[in-house]
Amino acid sequence: MPLWTLRGLRRGIVTTRYPARPDPSAALLPTPPAFRPDVLTPGLADRLVAVCPSRALARDGNLLVFDVGACTACGRCRAAAPEATASSGEFELAATAREHLIKRIPLGGSTR
Amino acid sequence: MTTQGTSDQAVADRSEELRRTVARLFGRSLHIRTLDTGSCASCEQEIRLLAAPHYDLQRLGFFFTPAPRHADLLMVTGPMVAAFENAARKTYDAIPDPKVVVATGACALGGVYQPDAFTRGGVAGTLPVDVWIPGCPPSPLALLQGLLVAVGRLADKVQDLDFARNGTPR
Amino acid sequence: MTALEPGLAGEAGLRGLLAGFGRDGSGDGPVTTVSVPVTDLDAVVRGVAAHPGARLADVFASASSPADDGGQVTLRLVWALDADRGYLITESLVEGEAYPSLSEIAPAAFAEECEIYEQFGIRPAGEKLLNRVALPPGAGPDWPRLGRAPADQPADVHAPHHVGGHAFEFPFGPVRQVAVESLYYGLVTSGEELVDLYLFTWHKHRGVEWRLRGMTPGEALFYVERTEGLGAVGNTWAFAAAAEEALGLEPPPQAMATRAIALELERLYNHAAATAALCQSTGLVIGQAAAEIALERLLRLNAAAFGHRYLFGVVDIGGTRADLDAAALRSDLPGAYGELERAAEALLSTNSFLDRLEATGILAGDAARRLGLVGPVARATGLAIDARADHPAWPYGEFRPSVAEQDAGDVLARFRVMLAEAAESVRLIGEIGRAAVGPGLAFPPGAGPGQPHGSGLGWAESSRGESLAWVALDEGGRITRARLRPAAVRNWRGFDDACRSQNVFTDIPIIEASFWLTAAGTAR
Repeated sequence: MPLWTLRGLRRGIVTTRYPARPDPSAALLPTPPAFRPDVLTPGLADRLVAVCPSRALARDGNLLVFDVGACTACGRCRAAAPEATASSGEFELAATAREHLIKRIPLGGSTR
Repeated sequence: MTTQGTSDQAVADRSEELRRTVARLFGRSLHIRTLDTGSCASCEQEIRLLAAPHYDLQRLGFFFTPAPRHADLLMVTGPMVAAFENAARKTYDAIPDPKVVVATGACALGGVYQPDAFTRGGVAGTLPVDVWIPGCPPSPLALLQGLLVAVGRLADKVQDLDFARNGTPR
Repeated sequence: MTALEPGLAGEAGLRGLLAGFGRDGSGDGPVTTVSVPVTDLDAVVRGVAAHPGARLADVFASASSPADDGGQVTLRLVWALDADRGYLITESLVEGEAYPSLSEIAPAAFAEECEIYEQFGIRPAGEKLLNRVALPPGAGPDWPRLGRAPADQPADVHAPHHVGGHAFEFPFGPVRQVAVESLYYGLVTSGEELVDLYLFTWHKHRGVEWRLRGMTPGEALFYVERTEGLGAVGNTWAFAAAAEEALGLEPPPQAMATRAIALELERLYNHAAATAALCQSTGLVIGQAAAEIALERLLRLNAAAFGHRYLFGVVDIGGTRADLDAAALRSDLPGAYGELERAAEALLSTNSFLDRLEATGILAGDAARRLGLVGPVARATGLAIDARADHPAWPYGEFRPSVAEQDAGDVLARFRVMLAEAAESVRLIGEIGRAAVGPGLAFPPGAGPGQPHGSGLGWAESSRGESLAWVALDEGGRITRARLRPAAVRNWRGFDDACRSQNVFTDIPIIEASFWLTAAGTAR
């Protein structure tokens, strides 16, 4: 089928070099949030917990407990408190133990 | 050390031994079987793209197989719909040891659906999971990283991330 | 809501209603809801079914109270009057256990009659055996339902044709080939030739409609999106439109334009994915690779334009939630679509490929009408229905899509329809994109929905066909009943017809690729 062979040769290689080299398309991907301890107050944390539809957030005293495994990167927490959240930019999230995905972020913000 | 501590150590030792076995046996080449326990279908689409030209998992020594007897790794999506549990166990049992189970996507990891009559809310209650890949759906790049972590060729990086950021945004 | 006078039902009253339907100035907008006493339902159904361009788009029920205390059940029929540009909903209160049989008049309704029996315990009059379609075999009287449990267990599906002589029946699935959804076929074969095929989808049933009760529409959107991820935009648009109707909200035009662009992008990537699946099913690996290159570029385009490869998080109640990166869309769309266009051109010149598609999986024209099929599957049989043209919401009313149509009803016809639609999607994106596009909500986020409570019907032409949704809200704006009817719910019932027409086993994946449905969309 010379038609296909020529097409293929002309098209060239599109394969990613990952993991040998980083892939620029990763920059387009939605990623779980990162939280700002210096801005997070218990009140803000509770608001975030309430807004998460996937139960990825919970409050344990002075800690915001973030389950990266349950996170769908939907962005609702970012929209609810943009000053207290940022995009983590992390997509390499595979874990060899479930606990590796549970993060505890201290609430450091003052209630003004 | 209490009995609790001893068994924790024993578990950690066995995990490490399994990891070394897996790296030795599967580090260069392994066969993947997929299992949909009730997904929304987008995880499956990303998994299909692993074999597509942009990602080409075969260059890394990974191959898909429809035959459970031929498989080394089971990639499981979906929240484990209760009515599917038997079929899931049968698929797992049909794969000979040693095998690796990779829970794939937020539903399989316990997000999205809470456990109730319809779903178990994740696959870990039904199958022994070795690697967890978050995402909704996890992109093919995330899936590649997950598979490489599963065979010990890439490190579990997420354990050292704290998802806490002070100061100016990235 | 107009009440149909009992005495006028079926004759003058119905004719008058249908004659004035959907015309400007009728006052009721494109959706009219009519109360019909259950004793008149048979006559009304016959009357509407005979109306030109009328299509029974959905049948569902709601219970006035969720408990099994014999609460009243309301049966709703949603008719799409495609020629009149409107939808007609008939509501009938069913007080006993039975209502007039609908599937005698509209065979497409049989699957819904079965589902309603499982969820509400009411059944069509007559002795006809009802099948288990929605809930799993273990679903006893205590299983969470939308209404009360049925008096008898529904029967397991069996092949309608007589299995005898050399033919035998065997189950296939639900765990199937690599990276495809779980789906369970019952196959009846005499060896190679397919005599019959029926499907079970209850092992993927996540109880989404049951789950949504008590949620606000905004909370529910998260689950509606994930009911069928490959149809996220179409299904959330239908749902949001239904909620907006119930709340009395009107999204700003620029948000509607944004939604339309997302919907066309969803159509594009699905058609590329179907092309790849067609190549895979026919063993044309190089064609599959070419289509997958196009698909990957389209998914990256989605991520660049809207922040998610599968366009999650675009539609919101009252408008849109995601900003469109119009510059990225303009710069990346030509290249991405170019890949698909070139792949399609090469495929249409590859005779060995076309030979496998031609005369495979033929659906006769009257099958599409009889079974109430929608989308490319219907359009490939000559049934030129398209919700963007027949029930246009802005911007489709102004930027009119041309409806792709073929006659042969085989796999090749469906493929041609998808390719024509892809080209049309690119044109629409360009034109709508030049109009005012932007995010926007009818109310600011966090302010809560509007005051009025009530019910509403919403629709969108997803890549698989017309997706419908209906919601009823209480005074607090919370869902008392949400009905989701993605296109897959309708079109799977055409799959066994298509497989039965002188096909062999190896044709099944080809036919399945040409339908390009999901198990998730129907199991939900």
